[in-house]
Amino acid sequence: MTLLRRLRPALGLAAAGLVLGACAHPTVASRLAAALGEAPRRALSPAHLSALALNHLALAATGLALTAILGIGLGILATREAAAPLRGGIDAIAAAAQAVPPVVVVALALPVLGFGGPPTLLALVLYGLMPVLRGTVSAIEGVSHEAREAARAIGLTRVQVLGRVEIPLAAPGIVEAVRTALVLAVATVAVGALAGAPTLGTPVVAGLQNQNMVPMLQGTFATAALAFLCDAAMLALLALLRR
Amino acid sequence: MTTGMTGRPDPRSRRARDATGLRAVRGVARIGAPAAAGLFLAALYGLPLLATAGNRLALGDPVYASQMVGLGAHAAAGLVVAAALVFRAHPSRRVALAAAALLATALCLLATGLGATASDLLAGRPPAARASLASGAWIALALIGGGLGLALRRAALPGLGPALAAGLALLLLLAYRQGILDGLSLVVEFRARRGVLLSALGEHLILAGGALLLAISGAILLALWRRGQGLVEGLLGGVQVVPAVALFGALVALLAGLLRWMPALRDFGIGALGPTPAILGVAAYLLLPLWRGINQALRAPDPATLDAAAGLGLTRAETLRRVRLPIGAPTLIGALRVASVQSIGLATLGALIGAGGLGRIVFEGMAQFAPDLILLGALPVVGLSLAAETALGRAEDAVRRRRA
Repeated sequence: MTLLRRLRPALGLAAAGLVLGACAHPTVASRLAAALGEAPRRALSPAHLSALALNHLALAATGLALTAILGIGLGILATREAAAPLRGGIDAIAAAAQAVPPVVVVALALPVLGFGGPPTLLALVLYGLMPVLRGTVSAIEGVSHEAREAARAIGLTRVQVLGRVEIPLAAPGIVEAVRTALVLAVATVAVGALAGAPTLGTPVVAGLQNQNMVPMLQGTFATAALAFLCDAAMLALLALLRR
Repeated sequence: MTTGMTGRPDPRSRRARDATGLRAVRGVARIGAPAAAGLFLAALYGLPLLATAGNRLALGDPVYASQMVGLGAHAAAGLVVAAALVFRAHPSRRVALAAAALLATALCLLATGLGATASDLLAGRPPAARASLASGAWIALALIGGGLGLALRRAALPGLGPALAAGLALLLLLAYRQGILDGLSLVVEFRARRGVLLSALGEHLILAGGALLLAISGAILLALWRRGQGLVEGLLGGVQVVPAVALFGALVALLAGLLRWMPALRDFGIGALGPTPAILGVAAYLLLPLWRGINQALRAPDPATLDAAAGLGLTRAETLRRVRLPIGAPTLIGALRVASVQSIGLATLGALIGAGGLGRIVFEGMAQFAPDLILLGALPVVGLSLAAETALGRAEDAVRRRRA
């Protein structure tokens, strides 16, 4: 009963995701396009759409893993005593990285990294770095001074304090930051379509270019559905962990 | 409780804090400054600085520092090493200022040296030939820029950063006018498309600014609707989850449907493609940060302050104007900063749905696989968003300091 209550926000998101996913089905999307007054055109088959969705997820997951490793690592480094004077610099670099829009990163990386996945991953990492870094830093800083002092007093080394006190106590905040980055990653991967990476953004871009509303709607609904479902999965995981 | 929590400031502890600050900076400078200088030398001498090609789309032949005309690159290397060494020896604020001056000179020397070499390499070749900046030059320029930023941070003189940026921009403009940089392919591309670039910049600013204004008024209206806060939060959060490409697509579809129902809307300049869906789409993403900022700013004063205001007999409007807004000002400016940076970035995507802007040049460059064209569109976007981020960030800090 209490479990169900804890899962309720996740279930709401999942339901929204499923409804959006159903709208991406060729039949439904064609009907919707017809309702908007579009002439019926060829739709993407469910098989093609799910292949794109899988690739979309794989890219987002790789980008998220890189972002999480880099962001949490830098966050832990930034909260060490020795790194105090570096804090301003790390913060400024992360802020500058996020000020560069993902489209621009993809475009600039295109001549260097080529078409497809690599420029997309670079954009994901640059864009997601700041939320994870900031979240990690504020979560570790939120660990009470007393807890740290007590751990030092019973003779734990600095590394042990980090592993046994700071990270476990900061875990909810860090996971919350990673959840933000996950949603950002799923939404940002769609931009990779512009660099030729096959994602759910591909039918949207192609549909915009040749004025075909049906695949555009399908891609739109499928991406939104994927983002909602991923967020729901992460929320459910958090609810189960927080027991 | 720490000493900082006691009421009176203790001059000795302040001096002690400055001393530990210097000691900590010294620790970082001892490793960081030589490491950055080493990276700079490796990029300058190990990687190609320029690439020459038969035309603007072909891959170029690398040109290394040893083939450079004049002493610009070597002088820049010497200045960067000197700046790193003096800062390593004594990382005080005054030395940071001197290091910044050295780095700024190095930047000018390197830029003009690259321009001169490019012109020299192209002399006698057909007009289609291009000399473009290569990896070594980009990394070296970026490292000097980063070092300059850090040195200015350490120097901590108000107004110095913008003044130096303006000075460097003026020098570059002068070099451009004199034709010193004409050999570089980016400059060739700029000369060829100056009119297009300027009109794209104007369109971009109109898109970003229009979306920001629309979102500000929307966020104020939503913040006024006190009862629907939960619903508003859910909806605005949901919008953030939808990828921009997808939202733009959906808006085009919706507007096309709407215009079929009410063709009269076309008379107001509303189209299914073009600026209308772009401004609406960008504004949709800005609503959440702005709405959150407004709510947090209004809740910023503590209840005791509000009670005091009520006790003084201030009306609700007066409380808003004289208590809530001044106390919440830093939060409001922070929200505006996040929204402006997002607006400038998202407006780039507007070119996908025919709204123009700098994205038009970026996407044209991507379609032709012409790196210089991509840079020509992308550099102003990056410059605009960094400028918005720094300017509004400074304003936020200044207002926060005044309140503290």
